[in-house]
Amino acid sequence: MKISYKLQDKFDLVIFFAVILLVAIGLISIYSATFNHPTANKNIDKQLFFVAVSLFILFIVYWLPARTFRIAALPTYLFSLFILILVLFSGKTIYGAKSWMSFGVIGFQPSEFAKIGLIFFLSKWLTDTKRDINNFKVLFYTILIGFIPIFLILLEPDMGTAIVFAGISLVMIFWSGIDLFGLFVVLSPCVILFASLFGTLPFIVALFLVIVVLFYFKQNLFTSGTVLVINLAAGFIFEFILKILKPHQVKRLLTFIDPNSDPLGSGYNALQAKVAMGSGGLFGKGFLHGNQTQLRFIPEQWTDFIYCVVGEEFGFIGSILILLIFLTLFLRLLNLSSLARDKFGKLTIVGILTLFFIHFTINIGMNLGITPVIGLPLPFISYGGSSLISNIFLIAVVLNIYRNRKRIN
Amino acid sequence: MKENYFGSSLRKRIVFIVIVGMVFIQTIQLIKMQLLESNKYEEKSKDNSIKTIQLNAPRGIIFDRNIEIMVGNKPSFTLQVTPSLYDISNSKIIELMLNVNHGYVKKILEQYNNFSKYKPRNLMRGVDFKIISWVEENHSKLPGLNYIVDTKRDYSFGINAAHVFGYTKEIGKEALQKDDGFYSIGDNIGFSGIEKQYEKYLRGTKGNEFLVVNSSQKIVYKYKDGESDVPPIKGNDLVLTLDNKTQKKAEELLQNYKGVAIALDPTNGEILAYVSSPQFDLSHFADVTSNALWDILRTDPNKPLFNRGTLSMYSPGSTFKMLVAIAALEEGIIDPSYSVNCIGGLQYGDRFFKCTHFHGKVNLHKAIVESCNTYFYRLILKLGIDKLNKYSKMFHLGIKTNIDISPESDGLIASREYYNKIYGKGKWTDGYLLSLGIGQGEIIITPIQLAQYTSLLANNGVTKTPHFARGYINSKTNEFIPFEFDSIKTLVKQETIDFIKKAMEGVVKLEIGTAHAIELQNISIAGKTGTAQNPLGKDHSIFIAYAPIENPKISVAVIIENIGFGSTFAAPIAQKIIRAYLEKEQIVNADTLNNSKRNQIENKL
Repeated sequence: MKISYKLQDKFDLVIFFAVILLVAIGLISIYSATFNHPTANKNIDKQLFFVAVSLFILFIVYWLPARTFRIAALPTYLFSLFILILVLFSGKTIYGAKSWMSFGVIGFQPSEFAKIGLIFFLSKWLTDTKRDINNFKVLFYTILIGFIPIFLILLEPDMGTAIVFAGISLVMIFWSGIDLFGLFVVLSPCVILFASLFGTLPFIVALFLVIVVLFYFKQNLFTSGTVLVINLAAGFIFEFILKILKPHQVKRLLTFIDPNSDPLGSGYNALQAKVAMGSGGLFGKGFLHGNQTQLRFIPEQWTDFIYCVVGEEFGFIGSILILLIFLTLFLRLLNLSSLARDKFGKLTIVGILTLFFIHFTINIGMNLGITPVIGLPLPFISYGGSSLISNIFLIAVVLNIYRNRKRIN
Repeated sequence: MKENYFGSSLRKRIVFIVIVGMVFIQTIQLIKMQLLESNKYEEKSKDNSIKTIQLNAPRGIIFDRNIEIMVGNKPSFTLQVTPSLYDISNSKIIELMLNVNHGYVKKILEQYNNFSKYKPRNLMRGVDFKIISWVEENHSKLPGLNYIVDTKRDYSFGINAAHVFGYTKEIGKEALQKDDGFYSIGDNIGFSGIEKQYEKYLRGTKGNEFLVVNSSQKIVYKYKDGESDVPPIKGNDLVLTLDNKTQKKAEELLQNYKGVAIALDPTNGEILAYVSSPQFDLSHFADVTSNALWDILRTDPNKPLFNRGTLSMYSPGSTFKMLVAIAALEEGIIDPSYSVNCIGGLQYGDRFFKCTHFHGKVNLHKAIVESCNTYFYRLILKLGIDKLNKYSKMFHLGIKTNIDISPESDGLIASREYYNKIYGKGKWTDGYLLSLGIGQGEIIITPIQLAQYTSLLANNGVTKTPHFARGYINSKTNEFIPFEFDSIKTLVKQETIDFIKKAMEGVVKLEIGTAHAIELQNISIAGKTGTAQNPLGKDHSIFIAYAPIENPKISVAVIIENIGFGSTFAAPIAQKIIRAYLEKEQIVNADTLNNSKRNQIENKL
């Protein structure tokens, strides 16, 4: 017992075992979805290799000195921007997005790496002394830090990852103690953009509301004017986004409203995923016995729709188990965010939590038909090397921060 | 906000609530989908993967009266397209392979665009094997394209009888919408003639095959090993009244004429031969009929698509004289000895009604044998329009026969009401009747009515509705089930009929008879010539006949259009049809005789 207590003191077992459990469930599901697939049946071997690599990385990162990440923050961010630009010129197009870099046999997604860069640099930027998020200038630069990679990712275009980046930036700004007006400045363009999705009239109404709120805050004319201009611009950005989004992505967004309208078109995946989930029942159809999965009604099920493999073959029991493991992971991360020894560590954990949570929400949501089909993998479970390695890397960062929590500089 | 500092506990609480709230919402949705509504999704999941394939039933065979095949089936490839899987960019190459116009596939797809996208449509029937092997080889590149082995009609048995058999056609959109669920897209349906009339007997029962398919609709395995499959049941075979040999002969005889020949068994209304000439070649109707062929058939001035036997209407000419005679005898207006002096016609008012010859003194018998018009001008004046009408009705003239193919015309027999309507009450005189007496003018009937009238004369005023189908052979029990048809009866005294028949016998037998030329040594024929005046061109030649006289087994009506006098063209054709039918019977009888002799010899040995 003494040993285990000592171990828990140095190494957070809750997080570690939650992640290991999720990875194991992932391997089982990937096997089920691919073992009789003509082209993807080697995926389980590949994923096993990725697991081995990422565990190796985990233990290396775990033992790194405490200051490493803060020092590495700016270079990591700048390198992220560099490869995000590079991929636009020399990347490989997969599923309509130019998001892959390949070096011979090995390929990876720069946006996965950029997640790390963004979280580290935002943490460093926001927690540098004498920087007040409620200063308008600071807020502007913070938003800019988040916006540059988002813009680059939208050019690929990869809507899902852009949403994740926006979410991470937003929550980290929020955590840093932004006041109501600042939050309004950050959120109102999002509201305007969303409203403009539904047409001109909602756009005008939302803009009018923004003006009313601006009067309520009674800021100086220059600040109010700038906020209004930003909002106006956000409304027109929608046109721009529609233009850069591929037709299939626009269609996906629109068929979310009624997946039955085009059952073999873009609503197909969502509908088939729901059928797979629902037909699982309480106990599921049994491992390798889900007909939706085995007859391959959901294309590429081992990536974004991996959750419904579990839903179909292991039923409600399996599905709720995954939700509970994630819940444990998230709450533990939230808890650890207070234990970190400095603000940088705290904010980094919040950023990592946000990253996993957004992936989790959108991915589970689209499997259950409560969010649009936006291609985001389920962390630790979905097939994919880049995503697994960067996710485990971030877990290792959390464990590192936990290990170093008591040391005082 | 007083909480405006890094990682305030309020902000931490908000994040906590968002996380727990999201998991809560997802759990609720999980409970709803997997516990409360799982039955609904299970159904959908089954629907997804179990594909029902319709198995078409072969149509019933059409036999003649001696169970010889007249219309059969042969295997045929049908190319199908399933809109939900089809890739439109393939249309060009497919159209090229099928040798059809650009836009053909699109047209087929649009034709049924409000029907289920998952159901295959027939792209083309009777597709060449070369194209099928091409489709098979390129299966992976041609999603949504498949073929089935179907059957098509085989008309290679030497009988065309296009107007009798009719043809089948892919069911139309309107018919499909009206249908109570038997038919589905691409099904063949009897479209005309026998195929249409007896569709319910011929079509059979479709079967179903259940297959488990994957998302790309590829068959993975048979559902429950085919346990729940329902095999199709072939349609019932139809046994017609037609006689193969007689029909063939009649088709040959009319090949170069426009006209109709119908032969009936006078005792029961069975149609032994039926030709409406010109015909169209049914073999072009087994697959898809090209628009070019349709245009040719539709615009042909000889109207090959037109079924003259039931639709076209002719004046019966002198063949009508027997009816006038019967009416006069039955009503007691004259007796057979009543005579008229024929001076080559009759002066009535300011008009002279012509006869064919200068006949001198003629009685009723001679008037029929020599076809004297003058006699019947006189007779119709004595008879009057009402009585003429009564007897026309009795012999079902100007009334639809209800033959078992459609459509059918009714024709027209002039009546008092009709004349009042056309000319006005009191504005017409008996002079209008004169030409009615010789079967011209407003006496218009269809050939099938004429044939039925001949049967009534031959069989002493009793027969049955003319029909093509004797019955069907139930495909499940192999049992022959006959159809029933209505009897037709006239109320004419036997002595009257006997007198008329004697006169018709004379038409052929006596040297002065108008059809003496067709007399045969071995078969006794009775008949009557006729000529239908045709205001549009040359007259139509008509002949009705029955044989043998003592015990009539066949009655024939022949009409040859635009050719002239009755005895010259129609009579020899009728005679040959009679011979084809009766001589064959004698051969059959002779064979059985020989057989029994042989048996006797064998027994002795």
